[in-house]
Amino acid sequence: MFEVRVAELETLARDQGLDFFPVSFEVVPQDIMTEVAAYGLPTRARHWSYGKVYQHQHLYGTMGLSKIYEIVLNSDPGLAFLLDSNPEIANLLVAAHVFGHVDFFKNNLCFADTNRRMINDAVAHALRIDAYIERYGLEVVEHLMDIGFALDRHTDPHKGLLRQPYPPRRVVEKEHVIRPYDDLMDTPTRSITYAVEGERLPPHPERDLLWFLITYAPLDAWQRDVLQIVREESYYFYPQFNTKIMNEGWASYWHAELFHLYDGVSPYEMIEFARLHAGVVNPGGRYSINPYYLGYTILVDIEKRWNQMHAAGETPLTGREKIFEVRRTEDDLSFLRNYLTPELVQRLNLFAYGSDCTHPPGKQCPQCQTVVITARERDAVVEALLAPRYNYGVPRIVIQEVLNNTLCLEHLDRTTTFLDRSYANNTLMYIAELWKHPVNILTNDEDGRETTLTARPNT
Amino acid sequence: MAQSSAYRKSSSALPWELRRRGLKDSLRHDQRVKEAIRKNLRELIAEEAIITSDGTKRVKIPLRYLDQYRFKYGQPSQGVGQGEGQPGDVLGQRGRDGSGPGDGQPGGQPGEHTYEVEVPLAELAQMMLEDLALPWLEAKPERQITTTSHRFTDVRRRGSLANLDKRRTLLENIKRNAARGVPAVGQFHDADLRYKVWDTYEQHQANAAVYMLMDVSGSMTTSKKYIAKSFFFWMVRFLQLKYQKVEMVFIAHDTEAQVVPEQDFFALSQGGGTRCSSAYQLALAHLQQHHPGERWNTYLFHFSDGDNLPDDNAVCKGLVEMLLTHCSMVGYGEIRYRDDASFYGWIGQTSSAPSSLQYALQGILHPRLLSVTITHKEELFQVLQTFLQPREMAHV
Repeated sequence: MFEVRVAELETLARDQGLDFFPVSFEVVPQDIMTEVAAYGLPTRARHWSYGKVYQHQHLYGTMGLSKIYEIVLNSDPGLAFLLDSNPEIANLLVAAHVFGHVDFFKNNLCFADTNRRMINDAVAHALRIDAYIERYGLEVVEHLMDIGFALDRHTDPHKGLLRQPYPPRRVVEKEHVIRPYDDLMDTPTRSITYAVEGERLPPHPERDLLWFLITYAPLDAWQRDVLQIVREESYYFYPQFNTKIMNEGWASYWHAELFHLYDGVSPYEMIEFARLHAGVVNPGGRYSINPYYLGYTILVDIEKRWNQMHAAGETPLTGREKIFEVRRTEDDLSFLRNYLTPELVQRLNLFAYGSDCTHPPGKQCPQCQTVVITARERDAVVEALLAPRYNYGVPRIVIQEVLNNTLCLEHLDRTTTFLDRSYANNTLMYIAELWKHPVNILTNDEDGRETTLTARPNT
Repeated sequence: MAQSSAYRKSSSALPWELRRRGLKDSLRHDQRVKEAIRKNLRELIAEEAIITSDGTKRVKIPLRYLDQYRFKYGQPSQGVGQGEGQPGDVLGQRGRDGSGPGDGQPGGQPGEHTYEVEVPLAELAQMMLEDLALPWLEAKPERQITTTSHRFTDVRRRGSLANLDKRRTLLENIKRNAARGVPAVGQFHDADLRYKVWDTYEQHQANAAVYMLMDVSGSMTTSKKYIAKSFFFWMVRFLQLKYQKVEMVFIAHDTEAQVVPEQDFFALSQGGGTRCSSAYQLALAHLQQHHPGERWNTYLFHFSDGDNLPDDNAVCKGLVEMLLTHCSMVGYGEIRYRDDASFYGWIGQTSSAPSSLQYALQGILHPRLLSVTITHKEELFQVLQTFLQPREMAHV
């Protein structure tokens, strides 16, 4: 009996120390599965781009090219979707896997501030967007959402979702504390100095582009609301982006571990389980590493190494205790940097590949077209793995200042990365449309020299 | 300990308007694809992928216009792989989109690649050509281009009494009587009545002929020929779409002209000098023999780079004047690139001035002689629009 076995697996998981929200499982047909996967949430504000993904996945699903086994959402209680056409053993594996994910959602520090009620909030968002569409027209709302989606990955996770505007301009007194021996210095200092705060907008380089525009661009209330909806949902997904490898590794570790301990399956089912598990943690292709495999392998390695060290008396933590600590405190960046060891890189036979060119990143030469193995050293491999995972996968761009109404952006890593020109210009147009004044960005050209791209709003 | 997990087989109670969004949004997506095509007809019309497709199938067109813009990296991507190999070993060449070799990056972000849509060519042609028409199309006495006729195709129990199908009505009456044991005619009932129903038929008859003349001489470079062929490609599409049975005559010429079959016309590549009069001569002869002016609407389109033999221009002028008396319209398209150093042309000819041939033709002041210059393949759509603007007889 499926329900009974899920309950048994749950008890087993909790006995092993997993600490997760109660999970609500929904068994749904393929097309619902496809839909939830395309949107990322069961119900979400409508946008044509989801239709694009849906169509694509629906086609692949019906052609049998890809199958979505599992969807689990970060919420309290947890919500997971299982496919009704899956064999029971597959859904049992998925259930065990889901317990790992929900434990991760609940305990990993990156998720501490996430909105655990996003499933409900997204329904409210959808209704609000629908109302705006009714009132202002589909094209208008859709276009505004296009702009929102263009900028929604430029977040500032340290400042968080809810923020106050910058303090207004004011003069503050700063008291200079006279310390002993100050009088030995040549230049006497005043005991009180005055400083002006809030003169610059923004006072510090601002990473959260949408927040800045929502707060300071001349927009209508409903426009702010639409952009804020996009921003909120983006913040909700950020921790999942940031812990993909670990999260999948953790869930895979636990479905394997639970089935290792669980005796409620028949030998035939166990073979089927082993086959499915091998599929989940398959290494991937020659040019891509399966994140499930990578995360799972590193966790197993950590457990083994700490067990050895514990046995040798070098650490008070057992292997199991160590991986619980890792799942609490790391994200993908620190996880790979701290635990993808040179030995492991060697054992997994990993290499970094790319172009062997040394010219500035924007330049194109015939040699760029050739992809070569660039390194086998551990650090290079780790950096190549992490490169697409920095900063929500987008170039680091900040708002530097507002000069005579012109919004000045800066591309921070311009010496090492290159902005796609056509995309950058079109995105600047989007910003100018909201800002209603010129917008420019400081970046580097093909030869590595500083250059400024500008966009003016259409009048 | 926490409560235990729930297990449900039903879907949650969601407001109706929020269900099945995927279908709604994918319809909206389709709509946007169509809009994008419509908005970008100018560029699409010269899209190689369309022109070079074999004309019957669906065409794949890259839609760069549905991109979701954001700041993204423009440098070649790197990645991590596994397996044997030493630093420096070549793994492969990048694809056009700058992605990794072979099976490429895992598809983490859908919609990253250039989006390709498959559209049936007919549908695309419909969108591109729907506003165009053959200008100055006259109703010719003998045959109409399109005739509408009615044909009775079905029989029903209700209808207008004028369309009563008497034979069937009688038969029904006999059958009904026979079923009651009296095999005879009589005692008509509403249930016996049968009516004929008709459908409207559009009959297409060709009395329009289109002559397509193309210069295939040596000075017509591949890219120039590409423009001419693209024009004729859409011309053929357009005629098939709108008129179905228009007769098409293809003439290719260098110093000599010949009538060629359609498939050869689009595959032609010749060399040699240019004598445009040869083509006009041939067209005129063919026209007088097969498509006399009193019965046919004849259209003639000629594409050349204008590098005609200088002594031929006067001959051409005379022939075109002759042709104009027979044709509903003569269109001359001159393909000239801005940076094109003309080898055959007379000295002093600049790209902004018309060629000697075009200059000679400009001497003819006739409303139905249309002459255009095309310098870039993006102007194709404009040229089509110029030539195929619906024009009324009143303009003459």
